[in-house]
Amino acid sequence: MTATPTSPVSFRKPGSPCHRYLGFGLGLRTPHYDTILETRPAVDWFEILSENYFCAGGKPLHYLDRIRADYPVVMHGVSLSIGSSDEVNIDYLKQLKTLAKRVEPQWISDHLCWTGVAGNNLHDLMPLPYTEEAVAHVVSHVNQVQEYLGRRIALENVSSYVTYKQSAMAEWDFLREIAERADCLILLDINNIYVSSFNHGFDPHLYLEGIPTERVQQFHLAGHRHCDDYIIDTHDEPVIDPVWQLYAHAVRRFGDVSTIIERDDNIPPLEELLAELDHARRIAASVETELAA
Amino acid sequence: MIDATKPREARTPTSKDLARLQQDFQNYVLAASTLDHAGIEAEVVGTTKASAKSRLGIYSEAYRLRLIEALDTDYITLHTLVGDDTFEKLALAYVDAYPSKVYNMRWFGAQLPEFLKTTPPYSNYPAFGEMAAFEWALTLAFDADNAPVLRIEDIAAVPGDAWADMTFACHPSLQRLDLRWNVPAFWKAIGNEEEAQAPQQNEFPIAWMIWRRDLDSYFRSLPVDEAWALDAIRSGANFAEVCSGLCEWIDELQAAQHAAGLLKGWVSEQLISGLKY
Ligand SMILES: [Fe+2]
Repeated sequence: MTATPTSPVSFRKPGSPCHRYLGFGLGLRTPHYDTILETRPAVDWFEILSENYFCAGGKPLHYLDRIRADYPVVMHGVSLSIGSSDEVNIDYLKQLKTLAKRVEPQWISDHLCWTGVAGNNLHDLMPLPYTEEAVAHVVSHVNQVQEYLGRRIALENVSSYVTYKQSAMAEWDFLREIAERADCLILLDINNIYVSSFNHGFDPHLYLEGIPTERVQQFHLAGHRHCDDYIIDTHDEPVIDPVWQLYAHAVRRFGDVSTIIERDDNIPPLEELLAELDHARRIAASVETELAA
Repeated sequence: MIDATKPREARTPTSKDLARLQQDFQNYVLAASTLDHAGIEAEVVGTTKASAKSRLGIYSEAYRLRLIEALDTDYITLHTLVGDDTFEKLALAYVDAYPSKVYNMRWFGAQLPEFLKTTPPYSNYPAFGEMAAFEWALTLAFDADNAPVLRIEDIAAVPGDAWADMTFACHPSLQRLDLRWNVPAFWKAIGNEEEAQAPQQNEFPIAWMIWRRDLDSYFRSLPVDEAWALDAIRSGANFAEVCSGLCEWIDELQAAQHAAGLLKGWVSEQLISGLKY
């Protein structure tokens, strides 16, 4: 493998509730299991999709345990549905906590969205209206979840395709307000900011400026599909240049933030993702040099 | 374009607003083809680039695509058997009939075998339902609970006078199916990229077991006496009861020896996880 590992340093901004800096990682995907165990690639950490390991035994947990033995792992969920008007789902949290006991993740994250009501799961990250009511609702859910899990969670901004008429604040104000009032962390998806800025016509830099630096635990980078009138967040292509540029801005503002590349479809051989990850390392390093100068 | 930074009209929403908005949106996504969209459309901002309707459509389309893809992952050989068009139709019908309630899409297809067996026109083609049942059993074996497996020495160590009362625990991955159509042969041929014959109907249902050894799934058919004996130990029968039940097919004098032979076979196939006496 060609990747050059950086040596992640223990890093914490003054007054920050964030966990230690892990460096540059990848989303763990099934087609890479064997390559990872055979070649021990220079990836600093892996992010798993929590729900994929809500099972009793067999291959998924077998590989997870082995990879966990060699790498730090973070748990990332898609079905917490923190903004749902349903009650917090205790059965879901129970399974999440059981998995956390096994994995001992560095942290746990999910999305600032809702995924269904009345017990349904749309398996999609549905946007919330940016209202005071929704802030209060999500904050109360985050409080319950953090209490149950006994730890802070990180919430990720999602890509969205609709704006609700009732929204009364910008998305970044909504995210900041919730993170501060619920005392949780932020997973900033740089690609999602880019996608939503195009879909809704805002300046992505304003978004970055609206986010409190001390709460940003992690970055996501990913590719998307451009459909002329809107962009769809597909995670099936390499990261595009404008998203890399936005990432450089984010590093300038937030400093060293644990970063992964997400690829969920059209998954290439691991080497390709390692090369993409090296690109992220180079950008972060050059921003640091620039800041030092 | 929407100016996302500009505060909109002052409004004091009640918590009912959020619940209603989500319920309207979900109704729209779940039943995009039949429902009146006016409720949710009125809640969403349209722009010159993309109308409210086309923006909402991204969500309802993605819902179906995503779940059909999940079914395709679990029922890849059923897909080959029925062809692209029929697969898409039956998957869409299933998605509409069984809105997802699961956290992990891996479980979404759990009721597809039942759906195909009971819903026309698919119920007219019993091989479809049986293929689905077979593939689902493979997925169940794939990530069922782990358990230790007995070795031949463990059985040999049981004192002779304890054999009659001995009961067994099967490996948690073990699945049993009775199939009228030889869908496993079709599955195997497709898996080996060989020419596959359309599944044939057997004169009588054939018993199959599907289970996991270490990390890999296996399946094989069972002679009628072995199927009966395996089902008996799964429901708690002891060794003596298995022996007397086997007399239906085996001479009484040979029944105990035959039962012991079956048991050794299961142990060597890593099917037995525990015994009690
Ligand atoms: Fe993301």
